[in-house]
Amino acid sequence: MIYDQASYTREEEAQHEPLLSEKDETTVDVREESPLPEELTRDEVTLPELSEPEIARHYTRLSQMNWAIDAGAYPLGSCTMKYNPKFTEDVAANPDGAVHPDRSSRSVQGTLEVLYGLQEYLAEIGGMDAVTLQPPAGAAGEFTGIRVAKAYHEANGEGNRSEVIVPASAHGTNFATAALAGYDVVELPSDEDGRVDLDALEAAVSEDTAALMLTNPNTVGLFERDITEIAEIVHGAGGLLYYDGANLNALLGRGRPGDMGFDVMHYNVHKTFATPHGGGGPGAGPVGVVDELAEFLPTPRVRETESGSGYERFEPERTIGKVQGFEGNWLVLIKAYAYIARLGDEGLADAAAKAVLNANYLGERLDLEIPYGPYHHEFAATSGDRDAADVAKRMLDYGVHPPTTKWPEMVHNAMLTEPTEIENKSSLDDLATAFNRAFADDDETLENAPNRTTAARIDQTSAARNPRLSWQALDGE
Amino acid sequence: MSGRDYGQKAGSPYAPHTDAETAAMLEAVGADDEGDLFDIPDAVAFDGEFGIPARSEREIRAELRETLADNDDLTEFLGRGHYSHYVPSVVDHLADRAEFLTSYTQYQPEIAQGFLQALFEYQSMLVELTGLGIANCSMYDAATALGEAATLADRVRSTSGDVVLVPEQLREGKRSVLANYCDGADLAVETYPMADGNVDLDALRERAGEDVVMVYAENPTVRGCIEEQLADVGAVADEADALFVLGSDAVALSVLEEPATVGADVVVGEAGALGLPAAYGMGLGLFACREEFLRQVPGRLVGASEDATDRRAYTLTLQTREQHIRKERATSNICTNQAWVALRAAMHAAHLGPSGLVELANDCVREATDLAERIDDLSGYGAPVHDRHHLREFAVRTDQPAAAVADEVEAAGFAVHTIGDHLLQVCVTDLNADAADELVAALEAAA
Amino acid sequence: MSFETPDDRRYLESHEWTTTDGDAVRFGISDFAQDELGDVVFVELPDAGDEVTAGEEFGVVESIKAVSDVYAPVSGEVVAVNEDLFDAPELLNQDPYGEGWLIEVEPAADADFDALLSPDDYRDQIE
Repeated sequence: MIYDQASYTREEEAQHEPLLSEKDETTVDVREESPLPEELTRDEVTLPELSEPEIARHYTRLSQMNWAIDAGAYPLGSCTMKYNPKFTEDVAANPDGAVHPDRSSRSVQGTLEVLYGLQEYLAEIGGMDAVTLQPPAGAAGEFTGIRVAKAYHEANGEGNRSEVIVPASAHGTNFATAALAGYDVVELPSDEDGRVDLDALEAAVSEDTAALMLTNPNTVGLFERDITEIAEIVHGAGGLLYYDGANLNALLGRGRPGDMGFDVMHYNVHKTFATPHGGGGPGAGPVGVVDELAEFLPTPRVRETESGSGYERFEPERTIGKVQGFEGNWLVLIKAYAYIARLGDEGLADAAAKAVLNANYLGERLDLEIPYGPYHHEFAATSGDRDAADVAKRMLDYGVHPPTTKWPEMVHNAMLTEPTEIENKSSLDDLATAFNRAFADDDETLENAPNRTTAARIDQTSAARNPRLSWQALDGE
Repeated sequence: MSGRDYGQKAGSPYAPHTDAETAAMLEAVGADDEGDLFDIPDAVAFDGEFGIPARSEREIRAELRETLADNDDLTEFLGRGHYSHYVPSVVDHLADRAEFLTSYTQYQPEIAQGFLQALFEYQSMLVELTGLGIANCSMYDAATALGEAATLADRVRSTSGDVVLVPEQLREGKRSVLANYCDGADLAVETYPMADGNVDLDALRERAGEDVVMVYAENPTVRGCIEEQLADVGAVADEADALFVLGSDAVALSVLEEPATVGADVVVGEAGALGLPAAYGMGLGLFACREEFLRQVPGRLVGASEDATDRRAYTLTLQTREQHIRKERATSNICTNQAWVALRAAMHAAHLGPSGLVELANDCVREATDLAERIDDLSGYGAPVHDRHHLREFAVRTDQPAAAVADEVEAAGFAVHTIGDHLLQVCVTDLNADAADELVAALEAAA
Repeated sequence: MSFETPDDRRYLESHEWTTTDGDAVRFGISDFAQDELGDVVFVELPDAGDEVTAGEEFGVVESIKAVSDVYAPVSGEVVAVNEDLFDAPELLNQDPYGEGWLIEVEPAADADFDALLSPDDYRDQIE
């Protein structure tokens, strides 16, 4: 159990679940029954050999030692942890959709129709002209978008553009993506209001600028009000404007990246469109672009056949090739389609409205200072001279998941909080109480927290100094 | 059809606010309506009309059921990198538990011990199967894992080399993904030839040199051939001071030569051969490597540690490699991965156990061998094209144009790959072996 | 909180120190720096024989949550590396001016120690 009153003192080993390897290790002689000649096989394999009931209990037990959105609020800033509608699991589990990607287009018309429908929805929602669904996660979407931008510049004889500009407050993935795509990263400082500093941007752009990657609202929840000027500056220098879709949930129905001058964007479907995050993934990171960039998108995309009677895959004329081995994370994409269809125009706009209302209401109830505003769907509170990570650990004792801590760096001891639209007033009141109580507790209490969780504070230093990354490495411990 | 969902309000059905609550909250924040809270200039504001009609749950389920029913009901003999085996129901039921499915990345390990332990167990299973010291807790798929291996090779081989060598017979999509990863690191992807379905060792030896940072080979190959000289391939890479990266999958690894013993530095591939049904190419990138590359590994790692009461506990570790801390100098840009798919793969592996895994893999060899023989007996076909041992799949030579044969076979209810003007590829597993007779008959009719 | 800032060395604004006497000098990071970083878990250093350049990075110090480049106070050739840190990076936290030294360098002929911060100047900076 995550919270187990009976084992409050944690004296009993019983609440821990042994590793599979501690339950059984069986060695099988591979060569005994092998149809292959001995020199092509390994000699043996050693793994746990357990019955189905044992496995069911093992994983059920593990599941109980886990926080989840269905267990309670999960206000991790920048992560948009919203409820994952159950019916989307059912539509994804349809065996008619369990097809191989090398099937002919004519034999998977249903699959292509769903993908085409989602392409169209996303294009409309982002104000973009063309969409690829292939990138398997947000960071993969960033990589795709920046690769597309690079191909565009190269096609225009401007392959020498070597820099991508990234605001200091951006997600780490933006920096890493630009570097992975071979660009030098130019870090852009924020102005004192927490937004893009236009003078600094003017100074940063040049004939070397390939793109500016921007999150809007930004990572402390502020809308970049000067977006039109920002677009003019970047476009004026011949660069492209990239939209990081991590915070798109705040814009649904109120603003579209395409209308703001963005040329290319990714969508985080596990954030904005409620596909379950699965403990770290899978996600999906579709990419939308304006017309000028469409011919560079990954292959294949899906379109209606000329006769309009069906759907077909096609290869964009100057495609960058592929960014995932096949056609993306199907089981995620179909859930996003179902979610968007369920909400429709009104529901999508309401999601954004309630997400912003919730953040503002929660912010109002906190005893912590929030240096930047007006914020939208998330805010960065500061725990001042109290260690934000310690406050967060103490919040665990009050039965809630804490916010993202110590990021973005522009706020000292930041506690980046995003309740999303799914919490109601009483849930937000509870969250505020937990927040405020943890913030008010004394230093010693914070340092010793948490006390009511499955595990007490975990020693990160020992984990990193002496890495033990498998049961083999535990060596009888 | 009627689609009403009873008792639901306007707006998002998943935003629980009553009108009274909304009003109270608006008052608390000093706003007249929600629109007041948005700081979006009029010039870029949007009117909210996407033209997407909201539908009820029931309508959407019906709509998607009908749409997906448009997929032809074919028995697939398809592989070439996307493999599926029977996934026992227990995997669905356990993995679908909301405590797993609706959790986030384990940034607060004290309340995420369950998922962390499951991922630690997944990593451990791959350590056993590869013989290498480290496995991460997933990449997106085999192709992106290969791309990550190339950038790792570029970092750890700080020589002047810039060539990544891949086999001539390689899935084009995988090669394309690799090229996209390589471009940013100024690496060039070059091809070495194959000899009858295996690495052409002499040609590889001739090509390998100082300019090569990585040699990639697959076992089994994309055509299902089992490599017979893997240790020699490893030696060639080693002599060239290049990384030997081996591609495989979680089932094949349980019987084929252990990568560590043939000198593999990195193993990449599809771990989604376990735990995932056919999912239109969605995968689970397997990534394992030797311990000396610990600080260069891409992606998340789960490690064991102790909590404040000195009991074993698990946590994401060595995060300074990752983008959220190291930014542009991170080992990769990956953040969200395929954790839930890794959970499924581990569950499936646990359910099979070592005996089941080995039996499954052995059957993949036997069934491929048997089916190839039967197709070879037909007039108009030669199989397997390569005189090698095969696992799951094999190439078939056709007298008729292959595409026409594939079309005819499809009309009879079967999907096979067309890989050349007169080449088909057939993949047979526990899921379709019972339809082998009918496939043979369909091929015979199409000859 | 007060930090140790020994008087027998010179400092960089980026929190490295160097000794100033003898044929070879030692580089390390300050008490303030180790405290800011938190528990050090990994150290990456050059090899003996490598050249380091004043003001340029010569290694990396990692804690759980941060990665810091370390910069050379003066130019010179590396003559020794504190290999104890590879197995016991905690020495950097426990004894930043003693057992937690990073590398030993034979200063170049034009090495300019006077351009570095005095202990007083460095104290002013961190207080």
